[in-house]
Amino acid sequence: MSKMVAPENTPVWVNESRCKACDMCVEVCPAGVLSMRSEPSSTLGAMISIISLHACIGCNECELVCPDFAIHVADKSEYKFAKLTDEAKVRAEAIANNNYRLPENYGK
Amino acid sequence: MAFNYDNYLRLEKMPTLWCWGCGDGVILKAFIRAVDKLGWNKDDVCVVSGIGCSGRFSSYVDFNTIHTTHGRTVAFATGVKLANPDKHVVCVAGDGDALAIGGNHTIHGCRRNIDINFIVINNFIYGLTNSQTSPTTPQGMWTVSQKAGNIDPTFDACKLAIAAGATFVAREKVTEPRKLEKVFVEGFKHRGFSFFDILSNCHINLGRKNKMQSAMENLSWIDSITVSKKKYDEMTPDEQLNLLATGILKQDTEAREYCDMYEDIKAVQQGKRGLLTQDDFKKKI
Repeated sequence: MSKMVAPENTPVWVNESRCKACDMCVEVCPAGVLSMRSEPSSTLGAMISIISLHACIGCNECELVCPDFAIHVADKSEYKFAKLTDEAKVRAEAIANNNYRLPENYGK
Repeated sequence: MAFNYDNYLRLEKMPTLWCWGCGDGVILKAFIRAVDKLGWNKDDVCVVSGIGCSGRFSSYVDFNTIHTTHGRTVAFATGVKLANPDKHVVCVAGDGDALAIGGNHTIHGCRRNIDINFIVINNFIYGLTNSQTSPTTPQGMWTVSQKAGNIDPTFDACKLAIAAGATFVAREKVTEPRKLEKVFVEGFKHRGFSFFDILSNCHINLGRKNKMQSAMENLSWIDSITVSKKKYDEMTPDEQLNLLATGILKQDTEAREYCDMYEDIKAVQQGKRGLLTQDDFKKKI
């Protein structure tokens, strides 16, 4: 198996130099871990960001759908992932309904 | 630890030239995971690709690669396989590359049942050259070459491959990356011509003018036109009309593989056996 070392205590991490901001990882994330943010230097004016790292449930969907090798998810054997909570589901929905970006005043 | 795709990539070529959200990248990842799962040595794999967005496939993977002329992937791959029967040969072509320009090579590759794995990335359009009608473009869709709406009936790539004699035929879609990986593993293990019709999205050149402007809208449309083989088989012809079956549609392990048959020719030339006759073959006509 071809493996890479995961950063310490990190369930999911991104490589911004490869991300093209297609929104697909945000669409499939059930736990509202990922969101796009404005990034004027990016072609589409957006960039992936991890907004709620420890809500990651390790489903691996984001890694599988990322066409650009920009997302990595730690192995289940090494990291104890969170359980999917209602709070996470609501956040994921709010992000999806707001053009894949976390609403500015969310949770305030 | 996490899965490391970089071991299989030419890192100096990253990021890919494909558009944001392109299904080609999802297929490339599933392909890499399948190769990793099978434990193939990188030096034992040859990836052959033609022209089109799918042609970039061979540039990104760190295997032996050939970027060939338009539609000629199977022709080149046949040569590679016959000269190296113990190596693994994977062809990648788009729907236009495989079914229009290279349609002739495709059907004869299927007929010979040579041990080549042929991945057709079917995005229903000529994407690289900006939206001309391809052999799989659905009727009624807008294309640059048929601006009033496409009137050309479509090819069902899998039916074509089955009729032509491919011994492993499967259809999958980019919205199910896990199934995609599984079907690649099954097909790669199969000895004989493995044909994969992989439905992919081109929201840029198909979707933009056909009410599917984002990757997600294009992918939902793909989901809406596909159904598993099991469900498909239970449907009436009317229900089947606008659907494509996914999964492994044909697997025949009995038919002889072409490189194996070629060994007989070698034996004849080396004087180890007499000439082949019809009695050497199960199917006589």
